[in-house]
Amino acid sequence: MSRAARMLVRAVGGFDRWVRDPVDPRPLGWFRCWIGVLSLVNLLLLWPDMPMWLGDDGVLPPGVHRPPLAGPAATVYAIASGTAAIWLIRALGIAGGLGLCLGVFPRIAAACTWLAVTSFSWRNPSILHSGDSLFRIAAFFLIFARTDDVLSLPRWLRRVFRPRGEDPRVELPLVPAWPQRILQLQLCVLYLVTGIWKSTGPTWRDGSAVGIVLQMGEFERFPIPDFLVTPGMSQVMTYATLLFELGFPLLVWIPRLRVPVLVFGLAFHAGLEWILNVQLFQWTITAFYLLFLQPRSPHAPREGDRMPASGAGVARRRG
Amino acid sequence: MGANETPPFPPRRPAASLLRHWQTILVAAYALAAFSWTMPAWLCPPKAIVDRVSGPALRFFGLWQSWDMFSPDPRRDDIRVEVRFVSHDGGSHRLMLTAMNGMSYGERVQKERWRKFFNDHLRLDDESHLWQPFAEFMVRALRAEGQDPASIELVRWWRAAEPRVSPALRPDVRDAPWSSYTFHRWQVPPEFGR
Repeated sequence: MSRAARMLVRAVGGFDRWVRDPVDPRPLGWFRCWIGVLSLVNLLLLWPDMPMWLGDDGVLPPGVHRPPLAGPAATVYAIASGTAAIWLIRALGIAGGLGLCLGVFPRIAAACTWLAVTSFSWRNPSILHSGDSLFRIAAFFLIFARTDDVLSLPRWLRRVFRPRGEDPRVELPLVPAWPQRILQLQLCVLYLVTGIWKSTGPTWRDGSAVGIVLQMGEFERFPIPDFLVTPGMSQVMTYATLLFELGFPLLVWIPRLRVPVLVFGLAFHAGLEWILNVQLFQWTITAFYLLFLQPRSPHAPREGDRMPASGAGVARRRG
Repeated sequence: MGANETPPFPPRRPAASLLRHWQTILVAAYALAAFSWTMPAWLCPPKAIVDRVSGPALRFFGLWQSWDMFSPDPRRDDIRVEVRFVSHDGGSHRLMLTAMNGMSYGERVQKERWRKFFNDHLRLDDESHLWQPFAEFMVRALRAEGQDPASIELVRWWRAAEPRVSPALRPDVRDAPWSSYTFHRWQVPPEFGR
């Protein structure tokens, strides 16, 4: 076997172990909880305008509606329409958001949130922001994630009302990693693709892109300090954006750089949140950062700990 | 090993081995599908093949996505959309729908989807199928507020961004003229919606 082939085999084996070795459930649990909060906020912001965007008498009557893509899609519009569909989306969104926040039937809650967001996305694709795509993707893969033991109201109640003498400390079992891995890779794909797209544009290459965006009143949120609106700062911010978006998918996997990269990313998105009025996107994308945290505490399960019996066939112990 | 000895383990079948690694295959396939789906075709040669295979699943499960905001270049025009209507009593009225930086902070967050719909879609000639349904919606909405529109116009406003970058061009202080164009007119039939 040639050296290149041996390296390839080793890389594939490493990727396989990375996907299949069980993981600490807490990052997925924190992510689930925060996505639940954000999905509720997203629903509440959309709520008053739902008849206008989604109703039969709204801006997009059924005769004019063009689905975002041809072909079948899983939405509530398969079984309901008009006002009934709107109320179904609202009910699913509330039940799903609360379930995700509180850890009550989290997989069913994730399915409810996914169906609610997918449904309004399908009904009126012209009102979507990138955060909606992240909600759909996050909720879909949370359907398969085992997060019942983290930030869970039922678990907390069981602890509070436990029989006398029972040890309140409960070990968190390791859980299958693949939903977390797929969501981590999703974030890397997002940054990489947007970085590649931007690097093909003349204004991103000559450093004027951010300066142009800062002139747009329609995107303005809070007042922009004068020192940012200069040719030099425009170049710094434009190239920093490109470097960060192209660098994140690589640098975040280097253990020593992970925390600095995530901290820089938080600062980057906080800056965008101040400057740009893009509803919830910065909050949703930074929610994915939780998946990269590696918690350490006395009660944390360790890599190599035994999986619970129900998960033994899904995730394997590190060999 | 002699001819009559059996191997210690039965040989693995490739299909069973693949099944055993389904999570790895799924994760790799999803990453490839998401990457291909969101990349421009000219930068991703296998896009047509990959999208043809993965597209139906991404569509059905709501996993379609695009990450091209401000890409490959940010739009160079600041946009607003306005509704003008004349009532049956002769009064003329104007409603600026997406003067986003004239709104309160809370309102501009809540109405971000307005900007998306009106500025990024409704104003475009390519999306003229949206114009008449929106005009009809506005007539119904205005009537619900006690107005009685006899005619309605949809107007787009724009002003180009300047190539230079300067604090004087901040959107809240910039003093540059706007251009406008009425892209849809509708004389409301008296019997409409009655």
